[in-house]
Amino acid sequence: MGIVKIFYKDDCPMCPMAKQLRDTLQEKNVAVSDFNVGTTDGLAEATFYRVMALPTILIEDEAENSLQEWRGSVPHVDEVLHVVHGL
Amino acid sequence: METTDLNLFVRTSEESILNWDRSKISDALIRETLIDRDTANELSKEVEQQIRKSGIQVITAPLIRELVNARLIEKGLESTRKMHTRLGMPLYDVDSLILHPNKENANVPHGPEATNLTLAEGIKKEYALLSVFSQEVGDAHMNGDIHLHDLGFIDRPYCSGQSLEYIKKFGLDLPHSLSMAKPAKHPEVLLAHLVKFAAALQSHFAGAIGWDAINIFFAPYIEGMSDADVRQLAQMLIFEFSQQAVARGGQAIFTDINIYWEIPKHFVDVPAIGPGGTYTGKTYGEYEKAAQRFAWSLFEVFKEGDGAGRPFFFPKPIVHITEKFFHTDGYMDFLNLICDVAADKGNTYYVFDRGETAKISECCRLSFKLDEQDLLDAKEPWKMRYCALQNVSLNLPRIAYMAKKDDTKLLNLITERFLLTVKAHKEKRAFMEKLLSLGENGPLALLTMNRDGSPYLRFNHASHLVGMVGLNEMIQIHTGEEMHESKKALKFGIRVIAHMNLLTEKIRRQEKMKIVLEQTPAESTSYRFARLDLRYFSPESGRVVKGDIASGEVYYTNSTHLNVKYAMNPIERVTTEGLFHPLIEAGSISHIWLGEAQPSKEAIADFVIKTFKYTTSDQIAFSPEFTTCNKCHRTSRGLADTCSFCGSADVDGITRITGYFTKVSSWNKGKLGELKDRYRNIDYFSTSEKRKVANE
Repeated sequence: MGIVKIFYKDDCPMCPMAKQLRDTLQEKNVAVSDFNVGTTDGLAEATFYRVMALPTILIEDEAENSLQEWRGSVPHVDEVLHVVHGL
Repeated sequence: METTDLNLFVRTSEESILNWDRSKISDALIRETLIDRDTANELSKEVEQQIRKSGIQVITAPLIRELVNARLIEKGLESTRKMHTRLGMPLYDVDSLILHPNKENANVPHGPEATNLTLAEGIKKEYALLSVFSQEVGDAHMNGDIHLHDLGFIDRPYCSGQSLEYIKKFGLDLPHSLSMAKPAKHPEVLLAHLVKFAAALQSHFAGAIGWDAINIFFAPYIEGMSDADVRQLAQMLIFEFSQQAVARGGQAIFTDINIYWEIPKHFVDVPAIGPGGTYTGKTYGEYEKAAQRFAWSLFEVFKEGDGAGRPFFFPKPIVHITEKFFHTDGYMDFLNLICDVAADKGNTYYVFDRGETAKISECCRLSFKLDEQDLLDAKEPWKMRYCALQNVSLNLPRIAYMAKKDDTKLLNLITERFLLTVKAHKEKRAFMEKLLSLGENGPLALLTMNRDGSPYLRFNHASHLVGMVGLNEMIQIHTGEEMHESKKALKFGIRVIAHMNLLTEKIRRQEKMKIVLEQTPAESTSYRFARLDLRYFSPESGRVVKGDIASGEVYYTNSTHLNVKYAMNPIERVTTEGLFHPLIEAGSISHIWLGEAQPSKEAIADFVIKTFKYTTSDQIAFSPEFTTCNKCHRTSRGLADTCSFCGSADVDGITRITGYFTKVSSWNKGKLGELKDRYRNIDYFSTSEKRKVANE
């Protein structure tokens, strides 16, 4: 089962869509961590994952290996679920 | 007793011997402090009494002043004493300075000019700490919580990025100069103007002088010249800058030249200025081939080295690697050439301008990212003059000793120290404003000259740098692991720098000051902090400082770098260290220490391309080591005790200290400790060569 990481900022144009995706995934009981890059912890995590565009959505397995990523864009929820459930 | 009764002579600071006159004491107190006349008179009588009792025949003015100061302390008049302070140096120290080299800055040679520089710096340092900065800031510097860089140059900005276009357009017309020169008509004259202007700027800035896009701005003068003449011009430029060790304090001008293979987007449509300071009718985009010829020639000269085959220490060539670089004809040939120079001599610095980023780089790693206004200025490139007013670094391990493994306390202490650096910047800024307000009759006349509608130093564009020393040791103290030892430790390191990055943004908004993070080169600061922490935070610090405590060769790891001793694949090091670089706006670098290895140009080029494509590293440099013989004047690879050609023991080691090459004999003890620890990537490049041969 994949773990989703969502990176966003308060004032970026596409970030509300990313937050919406987070809410939808959480409703479907998918493990989601979200990071606001305006905070120390959020910026640190974004830096570690070399996030240079917002929003960024990453999916990792339990050993933190990357399964899929969208940098500067927001995928459809079905695309995310597809990867998360390893379909 | 009346003053005339005292048979006493005073040796004054004005090189004369005067009869004793007590009123000189009270006059000085009234002139220099806020003391009232009665107290001043009373004090002068007390000091006179003391001198009379001592039976001394000849006394110096400094001693009288100190006796007065001692009385002021006894009377609790501390603020008066401070104002009455005399700045100076003990005889022993001056004797030692004149006889022995100064090792605080390896770019200062030993000689009478260097002694003058060091003596003047000593007085100005004291002046800065007493008069420019508040007690809180001064004390924080003295006890090693922070480091105020270049205090000896308190009356100048720190370092700068310059444009050749200014001299091309306005000629060499400096305030108070004996003659003025109109804009150059010939390339050799332009070069002479450049070198003289750089020397004048060195006298007005503490540190590096960087020149933007030097090959592009020379291009209109180069068109039509033969290859041999272009090569000659390149040779002249490099030798002029590398042999300028005759100016301030016998120091070479710390010069960086920014070089582009392509014409960057922001210069493509800019009208070119040619001979005589007039527009040529073409844009810089149309001078790409001429700019490339000059860049090529410059690197051919770097490849040859000086008369003894040694690398040139200055000017430092900084090549900008951009997206456009890889789409410009001949880029691979040029990349191979500059990589050949890097492998052989180590000169080349690779600055990575990814995406839409545009930068002017200078100093050891300092760069100025161009914002929207700067890119508008690029249309009139003589306006592209930038500076950092000051650099203040935080002693990060010190904060970790004090935080006692408490995350919240650690971040709060960083914030407190950060705010202290902001205070230091405001104090320096106020002092600089005072000096600049005196205009062309003041001490910084050159920086106030107004030839294009604004003063030469564009004060409102100035940056204020906040550096950091010893992140690796801070994390080691706080988490128990160094940053290369675990992902957790590395992530905590990133968290610290992320915290500092957000602080810069917040302070910038609040204070309307351009505060930026920079990786401090810390040539002597990492040594100073380590020594002070060994004094104040033992035994804990003894387990953390790097180097050899027994010999005193101790240091903290520079800025956000990983432990230099740890054997690590260089691409992994550049990738990991590069994670920090996007958080450090004013510039960062990763070093690849080569030792005696001489990789092929192809191996270096491959490394550079991978670094650009797959990492977030801002800048890299490859550093070989050399031994140069003072007897037979030949240079060999690697550091050795004797010359491999003639066997002489009269040799000098040469390698990169922080951001420049220099002789190892001039290094401070901390850097010598680091040099012994540096992990040389000899195996990586030799095995990658073998891999390549096997694949072929």
